[in-house]
Amino acid sequence: MNAELKTTSTIESEPTSTLTTLPMWLVVLMLLLLFWGAMSFDRRGGWFEPKVYGPYVSVPDLERFQPRDRGGPNLPRGKVVFEMTCALCHNSDGMGKPGQFPPLAGSEWVNAPGANRVLRIPLVGLSGPIKIKGQEWNLAMPAMGAALSDDDLAAALSYIRQAWGNKAPPVTAEKVKAIRAELGNRAQPMSADELLRLPEEMK
Amino acid sequence: MTATSSTSPSPIDASCRLPLFTLFGGAAVWLALSSVFGLIASIKFHSPNFLADCACLTYGRVHPASLNAFVYGFAIPAGLGVALWLLARLGRVTLARPWLVVVGAKLWHVGVLVGLLGIFGGDATGFEWLEMPRYAAVILFVAFLLMALFGFVTHSARSRRCESADSSGEDVRRFTSAATNELYPSQWFVLAALFWFPWIYSTANLLLLVFPVRGVTQAAIDWWFSGNLLVVWLTLAGLAASFYFMPKLSGRPLQSHYLALFVFWTLILFGTWVGIPGGAALPAWMPALSGVAAVMTLVPTLTIAASAWLTLRGSTTKCAGGPLCFVKFGVFSLLLSGLMLAVSAVPQISRVTDFTWFGTAQTQLRLYGFFAMTMFGAAYYILPRVTGNEFPFAKFVRVHFWCGVLGTLLLALPLAIGGVVQGLKLANAGIAFTDVAKSALMFLRLSTVGETLLALGNLLFLLNVTALIVRHYRSVCLTAYAAATARLETTEVKP
Amino acid sequence: MKSGALIFLAAFLALAGSWGGFVLAPQIQLGFNVQTNVVGTGELYPQARPGLAKQGLEVYRANGCVYCHSQQVGQDGTLCEIVLTDAGTNATATLAAIAKLDSELAKLDGVILLARLPKAILTVADMNAAEYALKALEAAGAKAETHLAAIGPDIARGWGRRRTVAQDYLFDYPVQLGSRRIGPDLANVGLRLPDANWQLRHLYAPQSEVQGSTMPSYRFLFETRKAGAKPSPDALQLPAVFAPAFGCEIVPKPEAKVLVAYLLSLRADAPLFEAPLTPLAGAAAATNAPSVSTNAPAK
Repeated sequence: MNAELKTTSTIESEPTSTLTTLPMWLVVLMLLLLFWGAMSFDRRGGWFEPKVYGPYVSVPDLERFQPRDRGGPNLPRGKVVFEMTCALCHNSDGMGKPGQFPPLAGSEWVNAPGANRVLRIPLVGLSGPIKIKGQEWNLAMPAMGAALSDDDLAAALSYIRQAWGNKAPPVTAEKVKAIRAELGNRAQPMSADELLRLPEEMK
Repeated sequence: MTATSSTSPSPIDASCRLPLFTLFGGAAVWLALSSVFGLIASIKFHSPNFLADCACLTYGRVHPASLNAFVYGFAIPAGLGVALWLLARLGRVTLARPWLVVVGAKLWHVGVLVGLLGIFGGDATGFEWLEMPRYAAVILFVAFLLMALFGFVTHSARSRRCESADSSGEDVRRFTSAATNELYPSQWFVLAALFWFPWIYSTANLLLLVFPVRGVTQAAIDWWFSGNLLVVWLTLAGLAASFYFMPKLSGRPLQSHYLALFVFWTLILFGTWVGIPGGAALPAWMPALSGVAAVMTLVPTLTIAASAWLTLRGSTTKCAGGPLCFVKFGVFSLLLSGLMLAVSAVPQISRVTDFTWFGTAQTQLRLYGFFAMTMFGAAYYILPRVTGNEFPFAKFVRVHFWCGVLGTLLLALPLAIGGVVQGLKLANAGIAFTDVAKSALMFLRLSTVGETLLALGNLLFLLNVTALIVRHYRSVCLTAYAAATARLETTEVKP
Repeated sequence: MKSGALIFLAAFLALAGSWGGFVLAPQIQLGFNVQTNVVGTGELYPQARPGLAKQGLEVYRANGCVYCHSQQVGQDGTLCEIVLTDAGTNATATLAAIAKLDSELAKLDGVILLARLPKAILTVADMNAAEYALKALEAAGAKAETHLAAIGPDIARGWGRRRTVAQDYLFDYPVQLGSRRIGPDLANVGLRLPDANWQLRHLYAPQSEVQGSTMPSYRFLFETRKAGAKPSPDALQLPAVFAPAFGCEIVPKPEAKVLVAYLLSLRADAPLFEAPLTPLAGAAAATNAPSVSTNAPAK
């Protein structure tokens, strides 16, 4: 080939970009989508729980479908009743409040193998001096459990007797019913002395 | 430049010549092979016993071979080639150590060969988009690092001289990249892409093949990898080319720097979380998060559309089946594919489209319609410039374009519709599964036609690229011979 | 942006985010899982796949079955049904208890309602409501139990009894969940199609077992050889169209046998905390051992 090779005389110019600002609708769209995304994740995301798979939404949701031990205590129900009725004073962690409400965690009254004594406290109340975990208390507890059904009170007591390190056998609704029957229409709260005179386990 | 004369390429282009020949030459071969494998796989749907007697040609080996040949054999080398050329051109500096880049490219192609042989031999890993066995993955990783390293070296050696801007008379403020040392958008995308692939590839291979994690965590990591590869990496590498060629070939400046910046940030922030499908056997937060991210990718998709629309709107340049046509169709496909991705991630819709052909359609549209077509456009522009010769079969470029457009549309759209039909039928337990499968057959036939057209286009591309390389070396040899004989003549004449 | 360093930082932060979310977090949450107890029993779940099934998993992987078959079952919700098992001696009291639980049922004919027990009479929201209903029915002298059932199109198709969860894939490598259902889901195929011979025939000639199937035949997993005086115990019994030439028999190669062993080991129906379910009464223990296969002729 004899054609002369042409060299590129000018350096080829490269593209440039303008400085037009970002249209607002794109940013608004992004924010709207982020909002939608947050709602969607809240509804479906299970909040990062490793045990939650769709269609379940949370661990409590899963627990609603776990099989129940029909003969045993209804601990989930007991926890709910405890939180509603007892935790206001005795606290969710069972530690009570120094000087005001005695602890349930580690209490020898709660952990006694027989529930005859401890069941009477919520049913009619307690007043006067009582020794709990080596400490003297002298307060009055109203009959917080009087309005609860046998099932609910049994569940709550069963929950208390196995929570926070307590290790005591659960309480049945029949036992609650029997003690209620024995107490009858009694309006006066029990005292610690009176409780200690009762047998630990009802015959 | 007329068709018959040749111009000597600029030094920058000339420095990229050998690496581009290796990368694009090999890529064209793998692309053609991937089409062949894809066709074999496709035909098996219409005739299940086609080539069924041979273990290495069973669908479960030919299909991943086709996908891997496309992504690892064509897409990544082509993307790298364009990326390195862009870094050199936009940095106004010659490519650093072209010979070592060629070594990297050849090593990469060896890795792809070894990997594909492994897949055919039954060594596929079982992880989607990561089927290349360990021994091939190591080769690919090292090769990529080598090439990426010299990309970074080229970039850091870029010149910071001032240069005159082009002469379009628009009355908007603009700046030249070199004048203010501001990087042009393509450079951000390329640098991010060169950084992205080694991290995702090494993590995926380490945690899936070398020190495998336990149980379903493998699936999570595999989905993370495939999402980052297909949605982030391909888009980064492809957009680098689109944002360069759209303004360059249409003669208008890119609209705008801030739109491109917005695309960059939203793409890497949202796109990287895409990948985990809606019904996955993973704790609920993973598919939920991934679904939200996929819907958020609507933002970069629409921004790209806005930028492309504004840039190309006032242009009077006709693309005439040339590189600009490819790039325009590429952006259009990206828009469509991005819409499909975002829509199919909405939980109510993903319940229908999960596990159907819809996902395949979306991926094929992104891989082929966007990435491959953009790479073709880039190749049809770059390769003549690095050799100084035009393509020997210039008419084939237009034919290739139309094959690509029709083929992509015929491949993706029937599969998308078929996927929705299939999904709606799957959701209805009263419809027997064989009926569900039958209902998709007609759409599969159309998509096979599309694949055939694509295969034809790929063949034309291979033909053109090979002929260009051959012509280049022929002319090199001829000029050398002419120079040698001319010298002999003059020495002879002299007493 | 001015410098490569800023771009690098941006890319690093973005990728680190998703790496933390989808690589690190799953590893922390799921990567150290061990066997757990099946709810209600002391049985460990999942059992490791027996050796043949493990080899079959390799065959499954090498031949790319994952490109057509998924192995994950989805679920749209959970139903809690009250199943009445015994109407008790006092039918009126039972009916009254039922009426109190669901006034709609009171309108139905009592005789029909209490006929053909055990049957599900009531759907409640969850186990707490079920507990209440059971107590009411027992007070009336009847006997009832709760039954959890998953609902969803996959479940309705018989592809599983509950959704699949991470625990189901604990010991598998590679975990091949699949992303397409060109063929049916295989998560519980060991429960649904427990006949090894059916599986072998289906692999050799899918169209012989499933009309109009687009699954390719896997003849290379089998060997065609001359039949001896007696047909070998492994020989496939195929319908005439697919049967080999006279005097020849089709015998599965070891690859086919281990693949079938793997398929028969696929099941995910044990009740777990994260996937509660009522086990089928008298169901076989959730083992992954393959069912014993015989050469009995095809039914």
